Amino acid sequence: MKVYAPDGAVGPPAVSLASPLSVLAGKRIAILDNSKPNAGLLLGALAERLATRTGSTVSAVERKNGALPAPDDMLARLAEAEVILTGSAD
Amino acid sequence: MTDSAAELLDIASEAPEALAECFAARGWGDGLPLVAPTPERVEAMLAGCEGDPDETLATLPPRSGVATRRIVAVNAVLAGCRPEHLPVLVAAVRALARPEVNLRGVNATTHPVAPLLIVHGEAARRAGYNAGLGAFGPGNLANAATGRALRLVVLHVAGAAPGAGDASTQGGPAKYAYCTAENLDESPWGGYAASVGVTAPSAVTIHCGEAPHNVHDMESSAPGPILDKAASAMASLGSNNAPISGGEFFVMLCPEHAAACAAAGWTRGHVASYLHERARMRVGDLRAAFALRAWAPWQEALPDDTMMSLTEHPDNIKVMVVGGPGKHSSVIPSWGMTRSVTVPVEP
Repeated sequence: MKVYAPDGAVGPPAVSLASPLSVLAGKRIAILDNSKPNAGLLLGALAERLATRTGSTVSAVERKNGALPAPDDMLARLAEAEVILTGSAD
Repeated sequence: MTDSAAELLDIASEAPEALAECFAARGWGDGLPLVAPTPERVEAMLAGCEGDPDETLATLPPRSGVATRRIVAVNAVLAGCRPEHLPVLVAAVRALARPEVNLRGVNATTHPVAPLLIVHGEAARRAGYNAGLGAFGPGNLANAATGRALRLVVLHVAGAAPGAGDASTQGGPAKYAYCTAENLDESPWGGYAASVGVTAPSAVTIHCGEAPHNVHDMESSAPGPILDKAASAMASLGSNNAPISGGEFFVMLCPEHAAACAAAGWTRGHVASYLHERARMRVGDLRAAFALRAWAPWQEALPDDTMMSLTEHPDNIKVMVVGGPGKHSSVIPSWGMTRSVTVPVEP
């Protein structure tokens, strides 16, 4: 018996991930805190450690609503950094 | 698959177990038995609505699944719908994709939110939706099958399977089938859809919220005491409306409670304004409960001893009539970061 698959096609991917940097020395690290519990604490500590170990600097810390995309002006500020740390769940 | 055509699968036999095995192996289905979506059944389902079967209606996150009428019809067959239910389901899928619904967030959150589908107007009468006794179920094919089909679209097309695409901590019964109809015949205020500017003969509303919270009042004949109980159900620290002030409430009044309000001369707007006034909590208690808040700046500036409404504006309190005889209404809190959408049902 033939039946239709229920999922259909996948639309075009919106974006692809950037390639990781091989050297962080001299680079700027920004933090996008998504407001989840302890996200700022975790990402801040991680950024400071990375900066200390690699000779990079923490250049910006932004905080956005946990359930909505970051606004354009925030993304523009973040885009000045070469590395952005983000993502934390409950 | 990446092409626009719907994929056909071969399964071993017509036995229900064969379909169940095929779907389970692919992570499809809602756990209940399914009707096989054979080409013949899908074609018959598609006869229920006009329009190109392969037109893209919406692209649904997180999977970026392309919902066409054909794919929606496949899921309608799986759920047990009849062709007359398809126009309602197509409208619901269009509504789900509206940006203000924030389906990506609805599917990604750990909250048990589910899209509630409410059917308004002629389509509800014509296609047999139950707006009366037991309107949230069980027992009515149109409500049950359409609600289930919408969930199957979310599972299959949007890719919101628990774990990979739906992070809900506990899940919830509303994630199986969550569809009801507005009881227009018993509404003293006319239809809800027209009240939000949709004047088509048939419409659907999508509200992404919790399962209904009961509001029981069999003592009162005046609006105040009835609505005070609804306000009590709204003023809860446990729902997302507490930390998210822009969230909506859907207040589904039973016909007898609505009639009591109307008999006192209260309009739909009076009910919403009264609930906004009464569904309040002390700001200091809310602050103590939620370090993370999405409140308006003016609310953040309120002193701790102020009593603050659980939603920012009376317009966020949506009132309609649902159900049959008896003295039970319900309140449906929001997930918060979502807005309800009402759209017309096309033929």
